[in-house]
Amino acid sequence: MQLSDRITGLFVAVLGAAAAYGGSKLPPVPGQQVGPNVFPMVVGTGLLFCGALIALGVGRRFEEEAEAELVAHSDPNALAAETPPSGWIYSLRVLIPPALLLFYVYAVDFLGFLITGVTIVAAAALALGARWWFALSFGLFTTALIHLAFAKMLRVPLPFGLLQFPW
Amino acid sequence: MNTYTEALGLVLQADVIIAILCSAVYGMIVGALPGLTATMATALLVPVTFYLSPIAAIAAIITSSAMAIFAGDIPGALLRIPGTPASAAYTDEAYAYTRKGQPEMALGIGLWFSALGGIIGTFALMIVAPQLAEFALSFSTFEYFWLAFLGLMCATLVARSSPVKAIASMLLGLLVACVGIENPAGTPRFTFGSTDLLGGIEALPVLVGVFAVSEVMRAMVTAEPPRLASRRFGSILKGQLELTRKFVKLQVRGNLIGIAIGALPGAGADIAAWVSYSVSKRFSKTPEKFGTGHPEGLVESGASNNAALAAGWVPALLFGIPGDTITAIAIGVLYMKGLNPGPTLFTERASSMYALYYIFILANLLMIPLGILMIRMCSKILSAPRSAIMSMIILMCAVGAFATGNNLFAVVLVAVFGVIGFVMERNGYPVAAMVLGIVMGTMVEQNFVTSLIKSDGSIWPFFSRPVASLLAAMTIAAVLWPVFAWLLRLRRRLQTHAG
Repeated sequence: MQLSDRITGLFVAVLGAAAAYGGSKLPPVPGQQVGPNVFPMVVGTGLLFCGALIALGVGRRFEEEAEAELVAHSDPNALAAETPPSGWIYSLRVLIPPALLLFYVYAVDFLGFLITGVTIVAAAALALGARWWFALSFGLFTTALIHLAFAKMLRVPLPFGLLQFPW
Repeated sequence: MNTYTEALGLVLQADVIIAILCSAVYGMIVGALPGLTATMATALLVPVTFYLSPIAAIAAIITSSAMAIFAGDIPGALLRIPGTPASAAYTDEAYAYTRKGQPEMALGIGLWFSALGGIIGTFALMIVAPQLAEFALSFSTFEYFWLAFLGLMCATLVARSSPVKAIASMLLGLLVACVGIENPAGTPRFTFGSTDLLGGIEALPVLVGVFAVSEVMRAMVTAEPPRLASRRFGSILKGQLELTRKFVKLQVRGNLIGIAIGALPGAGADIAAWVSYSVSKRFSKTPEKFGTGHPEGLVESGASNNAALAAGWVPALLFGIPGDTITAIAIGVLYMKGLNPGPTLFTERASSMYALYYIFILANLLMIPLGILMIRMCSKILSAPRSAIMSMIILMCAVGAFATGNNLFAVVLVAVFGVIGFVMERNGYPVAAMVLGIVMGTMVEQNFVTSLIKSDGSIWPFFSRPVASLLAAMTIAAVLWPVFAWLLRLRRRLQTHAG
């Protein structure tokens, strides 16, 4: 998601202002001049200032130089592979990993680690171009491996849910 | 002398040796896979270290990071894709060797000089740290505040991005650290009524999110890197002794630069490699040969990045201030294992410190045989499909984050910071600066507020103590450096216009 410096700078500035305002509302420590309010105010003011500078394009040249140096040091073909195919639907694919993590959070207690784990690994592998039989078998293998390592050896309480491992 | 033998006893435990061997293999593999960094290797290892003894936990962190930094050279040399950012500076040079048909030369230089650099960096750590510890005993909150602030500023200076964006990232990290009740008054701050946020945002889910999840996200929209053709390698260490003799000056210079940059709070192995490579080119008698498969730059930057890794532990152990993102993780592990960083660590837990030195040396010695094995097997490991590696990582992120506190909220944080890291990276905001801000936020605030209370709200005492004033001057110089660089460039441009 490439945004213009104006937008990200503005966002940073607004966040800074909100932090400074929110910080100033915090109750002080009785009998002290400084308390929990000072640090957010200092940081917020700094963010506001930096955000304004970014929105105005200050420091852009440093970035261009670093980029030029990186381009000079790496393979043009590898860099070409970095630029994704066009189309915003395609670029929504980046949200698959965080979505799978949220799926884990909401499903693992009910479905159990076995089903959730296999689903996540298989879905991620399919999204990255694996064949379905590979995705499923690899999902099963990985989930079993991680379960052995974390639940058996390290005693992390991974939930059983609907289906559990035979060990 | 008794402490030395005691320390040796600590290292020669079965669990420590197993931890070293396993994490060495793990670090080698993760470091060699393109896109997976040494920081990510370390972050995903932390949940496992919870269940290890203190020395075994530290050993796992040290070994895996050292191996990963070297292993990053392998795909760099063979595919022109750096495995870790620390190898990016000299990837071109190493790949030029492969094009000439001598990949074993480039990989051999990387391996040999990395191991040497790591060992020399460890000696620097052994010599410098106790000396500084004595000095650091006299530090008050004013000095600690400036030191932490200096570390944060250095992290923004070396970010290879716009300094304004780097400072904004760092402040963002400090803001994230504000969340929770761990503040001077113990009032809930920026928790928005959520009980999960009361305890604050831990550094580990953030690290896993920005370094691992965002990498998987990137993989979703980029093409798969080219497969590596399987090839036979000649002798890997052949000719390295001769190179060591020939380029002794370069190697020492690389070590020194690496140690200096590593010991500086906030700057680590990646920047040490970039600086060393350009220093090597500038002072070389044959700068025109750089980039065509020439050993000088490889020797110097290889010697530099592993030395920086060891020296990065100096500020981490002495002040609890991370030298880079890897030591930022290590500090968390040290606290968890009751080895709280600070100058007294060297007097009260001296045997643990010596054990740490032994582990560093052991890891760097182990790097040579294991590295050779890895190079010989790399065509097999690098041909693992990306769909398998990335899908495995995403499940490991979920389980690892959950394991840190048996709390599913950590997994939500991993997802959120994955997105934040991805967006920041895309728009030129360096994530490492944010991570250091989060790790050091509480410390900066504590020392800042305590100092302000001590001085009754006046800022004069921040500058009046001798060491504090020196550190303040360095910090302000670091803040003003980009402005100075900009003015210099403006003047040069005006001159060329006038000319």
